[in-house]
Amino acid sequence: MSSSAVQPERILKDLQQLWAQMAKDQAESGGVLRACAMTLVVVAENSGDAEHVRQTVGVLMHNHPSRAVILRPEANAAALDARIFAECWKPFGKAQQICSEGIEITEGPSGFTEVAKFLVPLRVPDLPAVLWCRGKAALEPGPLEPLFPLADKVIFDSGDVADADSALQYLRKLRGRGIRVADLHWTRLTGWREVVAHLFDDGALALGEIKTAQVAFGGPLVTTCARYFAAWIRTALPAARVTMATVEGASGLRSVTLSTASDNLTITRGSDPNIEVSGCGRQYRSLLPSTSEEALMQEELGILGPDLVYERALSA
Amino acid sequence: MTEVPNPFADPLRFERRVPECAIVIFGAAGDLAKRKLLPALYRLAYDRRLPASFAIVGTSRTPLSDEQYRQGMHDAVKQFSEDGEVDEDLWKRFAANLHYVPGDVKDPQLFVALREKLDAIGQANVLFYLSTQPSYYPVIVDGIGHSHLAASPAGAWRRLIVEKPFGHDLGSAKELNARIHAVFREEDTYRIDHYLGKETVQNILALRFGNGIFEPLWNRRYINHVQITAAESIGVEGRGAYYQEAGALRDMVQNHLLQVMATIAMEPSAVFEPNAVRDERAKLLRSIKIMRPEEVDLYAVAGQYKGFRQEPGVNPDAQTDTYAAGTFFVDNWRWAGVPFFIRTGKKLPRRVTDIAIQFNQAPLALFSAGDGQQKARPNLLILRIQPEEGISLLFLSKEPGSGMRLRPVSMDFNYGTSFGERSPSAYETLLVDAMVGDPTLYTRQDMVEASWSVIQPVLENWNNRRFDFPNYDAGMWGPAEADAMIARQGRQWRNS
Repeated sequence: MSSSAVQPERILKDLQQLWAQMAKDQAESGGVLRACAMTLVVVAENSGDAEHVRQTVGVLMHNHPSRAVILRPEANAAALDARIFAECWKPFGKAQQICSEGIEITEGPSGFTEVAKFLVPLRVPDLPAVLWCRGKAALEPGPLEPLFPLADKVIFDSGDVADADSALQYLRKLRGRGIRVADLHWTRLTGWREVVAHLFDDGALALGEIKTAQVAFGGPLVTTCARYFAAWIRTALPAARVTMATVEGASGLRSVTLSTASDNLTITRGSDPNIEVSGCGRQYRSLLPSTSEEALMQEELGILGPDLVYERALSA
Repeated sequence: MTEVPNPFADPLRFERRVPECAIVIFGAAGDLAKRKLLPALYRLAYDRRLPASFAIVGTSRTPLSDEQYRQGMHDAVKQFSEDGEVDEDLWKRFAANLHYVPGDVKDPQLFVALREKLDAIGQANVLFYLSTQPSYYPVIVDGIGHSHLAASPAGAWRRLIVEKPFGHDLGSAKELNARIHAVFREEDTYRIDHYLGKETVQNILALRFGNGIFEPLWNRRYINHVQITAAESIGVEGRGAYYQEAGALRDMVQNHLLQVMATIAMEPSAVFEPNAVRDERAKLLRSIKIMRPEEVDLYAVAGQYKGFRQEPGVNPDAQTDTYAAGTFFVDNWRWAGVPFFIRTGKKLPRRVTDIAIQFNQAPLALFSAGDGQQKARPNLLILRIQPEEGISLLFLSKEPGSGMRLRPVSMDFNYGTSFGERSPSAYETLLVDAMVGDPTLYTRQDMVEASWSVIQPVLENWNNRRFDFPNYDAGMWGPAEADAMIARQGRQWRNS
C-alpha cells in the first residue's frame, strides 16, 4: 500500500505506476491481468470497520472485479487522505494472477460533500458504480446524501435499525428521487421467498385458495424484513388478508403461515440453516442459502438494473 | 389452457427450479456417467439446484448393489469434480436417492425392474438418459416403449436424452429418429450436443445479437472467411476401439463443429425462444452447400497421426481419420462466397477450440509496408471456446516513435476475469434444461439430419478409398493436404 497526495489525478497516476510495477514483478510468472467490471464505493462505519471492509471487498472482487474505493471516516483527520492498493488472486490451476485495484480514502473534516467531488474523477468511465453504505446510521437522512448521485445503485442494510418504518420511509423517499436503492435485509429473505414461490410452482398451493397469510417475527419490534415479507405477499396475493405477529425467540422472521379455507401450510425457521415446510400434505426441510455479508453483497452486485420485485415490496 | 404466471416469481434472484423428478441413466457404470453426469448432478445438488426428493436410477450390465454403486460414484465424483472435493454430509443426502438396477438392456425383465424401482421411488416425472454404446439406443427405446415406461400420468412428463452420435450416417440417423418417435414425441426428445451447453458457445449469441456493432459487419461484404478449429493435443487415450469406428469427421464435425458454425452464421431469431432459435440454426444447416462427389477431394481432407495404428484396440490397418478438415459454403445472401474452414484433430500441437473471423483488408493500403515492416494484417475477431474462454480483436496500431509504422495489437476480453463467477459445466446446464423442459440448446431431428446431409458425400468418398495413412506427425497441425486445401481458396490457416 502506498500513500498518495490527495489529488485524484495523482491517485490515478499512482495506480498506473502500481500496475506497471506489478506487471514487471510478475513478468516471469505470467504477468498480471487487470480486471474491472464496476466501481464499488464502500462507506465504512468507522475506522475499525474499514479493516473488515477491506477483507470483505477482497472476497467480493473474485466474482465482481472492481475498482474498490473504501471511505474510512476518521474523526481526528486533519485533511482528506488516500492510499492505493491491489487485490490479487490466482484462479485455480492458472499461473497468471488476476488483480483489481483499490483506493482507501480517509474522510477529512469537510465531510462527504468534499469526498463526493473527489470521487467523480475516480469513477471508472462507462462502467456501473455501486455505493455500499454500511451501518444503520446510513439510513438516517443527511450526511451520506452527496454521494448518492455518483452511484447507479446504493446498498443499505436495515438489519439493525430500531425504527423499521422510518428506515423504509427513507428508502422510499430516495427511490422517489430516482435513486436505485437496495437493502441487504431484503436480500436475507431470498431463501425464504424462494421456498414460498416454489409452493406455487409445484402445485402444493393454488393461488386463488389462499385466504390469509401470517408473518411471524421474533423480538419486540417489527423489523424491516417482516414488513418486506408481508408486503411481498400482499403484492402477490392482493385478495388475501396478510397479518404480522410477534412470537417468542430471536429477532427476525420466524414463520409464515398460508391458510386456505380448510388447511394451513407453515414455513418455520428450524435449526440454522434449515427451514421446515409442513401442511397441505407437505413435510420437508429446505436449506437456506448463506446470509453472510459477502453472500448478500454477491447477490446484490449481480443485479445492476431495475429490481422490480423489491421495488414493489418497498412501495407496498 | 394458459398457465397462470407465479406472482411470487423473482427470476433475478431465484434459480430456475428443477421439478421433482427421477433420472434413469442407461450405461450408469460407464465413462460418461462417471466423468460427467454424476459430477454434474452432484454439483447441482451442492448448489441447491435439485429438489430434495430428486432420484437417480442407474442401470448397466455390471452386477452391483445400491451400496456398491454409491461407493463407485462417490469415488468418481471425487476424482472428476473440478475441485476434487466431496462434502460428505451432502453426499449422504445425495446418495440416499441414488439407486442401481443391474441388467441387460436386451432383457425385458430389466424394464420390469426399472418400473418397479420407479414405482417405489414414486416420482411421476422421469428423464431417461442414453449413455450406452449407440448401437443399444434402439433396443433401449423399444424396451421403454414396450414396458410403458414412456407413458406419463396426467400432468407429468417422460423425456429422453440421447447422447451423440445420432446415427453413423444420414440413413441410420433417420432410422434412429423413426425408432425414437415410435415411443417419444419429438418435443420430449433431447439430443445432447455438449458444445452447445458451453457458456462460451452461448456467448456467441450474446456477442452477435446483444451488441449493435458486430451484426452490421457480419456478412460477405466485410468478412473474408471464418476458421473454426478444435484441436486436441492428446490421442485416443484408451478409446481406440470406439474411435476407429467413428473418426474425427463423425465425432466432431458432423455434430459439434457444424453446430458451432450454425451459431456463428445463423440469422437472428425474432424471439429468444427454444423453437425460434432452433429454427434459425436448422435453416442455416440446410443452407450449407452440399459437396458434389467430384468436389470432395478439393474441399475435404482426412488425416491420421503417426502412431494411431499402434494404439491399443486399433486395427493396424485402420483407415480412421484422426484429423478432418473441410471447406464449407453457405448458400444464402449473407454468406455467398465466404468460405468457412473447419478443422479438428488429435495429437495436434495444443488443445484449443476457437473461431477466427477474418475481416477484409482496408480497401486502400494507405500505410503501405516499407522495408523492414510487417505486411499489413487483416482484422481478426477470435472467439476462444477453450481453454482460455474469451474474445480477442486484432487490429493495427501505430508503433511509438517517429514515422508511421503499424503493428498488430490484440484487445482481449477474458471471460473468467470479467465474470469471476464459476461457469456451470455444459452438462450441468444441459441437464437442468432437460429437467425444466427447455430444449433451446439441444439439437432437433431436422438439425441432425441436415448436418448428416452436409457430410454424407465426404463420408461416402472416404469410405470408398484407401488413404496413404499415417500422413501427419504427432505435434504438427495436421497433414500438408489441409494447407493445400485452404491455399486453393487463397487463404492460410492462422498458425501455419
